[in-house]
Amino acid sequence: MPALNRLYREYRDRVAFYVVYVQEAHPIDAWQMDVNVEDGVLVASTKTDDERFDAAGLCVTKLGIELPAVMDEVDDRVERAYTGWPDRLYVVGADGRVVYKSAAGPFGFRTSEVEASLKGLVSAAPQPRTSALASPRTSP
Amino acid sequence: MKWPLRIAAAVATAYALLCGVVLAAMMQTPERFGQFMTYVPEPVVWGLAPGERLWRWARAGRLHVGDEAPDFSLRSQSGSARVTLSAFRGQRPVVLVFGSYT
Repeated sequence: MPALNRLYREYRDRVAFYVVYVQEAHPIDAWQMDVNVEDGVLVASTKTDDERFDAAGLCVTKLGIELPAVMDEVDDRVERAYTGWPDRLYVVGADGRVVYKSAAGPFGFRTSEVEASLKGLVSAAPQPRTSALASPRTSP
Repeated sequence: MKWPLRIAAAVATAYALLCGVVLAAMMQTPERFGQFMTYVPEPVVWGLAPGERLWRWARAGRLHVGDEAPDFSLRSQSGSARVTLSAFRGQRPVVLVFGSYT
């Protein structure tokens, strides 16, 4: 989470960030995880809009997520389109096309890869004001 | 010479069967896969079978880099306004972080 928050803070003026909240990875009524029980992370699978809204709110608060969040419909239509469960990272370019797609989570969840993708995308954009101590830009 | 060969063949077949079952389970819906995982011990899936490799393959999906990102209009956690992906087209890139609390 800290890495994601840091990325958000750095790029939010040029890039939109959204958490897409999907079906629980380890709900208590199915594939419960011991580590979750130990940490008190106990959420049932979300079957209504309100349940998912509440779970997303809990997640954002407890994990200190600074990114804005949207909730997938309870029929999981967006998750299906993006194969996003249990977690995954995507970068969509300003042209509406997929620029980066992580490997399936949790194994493929690498914030560093998103950062690399963003660096390539926004390099052409005007640079934000930097302090006088930063090295001066040289012409190519 | 026959018996070691037979045993090896039996083990190889059993292993292939295990991988097949695990892969098939991984290609089900999250709910179905979750149910599967309540019956099968984790070390069997992630240790004995090549779980990570199978998972990456099963969850590759049909969306590829270069494809048009599927549009959506979803309810926001804060505020009542919906967020529509296509609204950002021509404006700015969008980072999507799929996940849940658990």
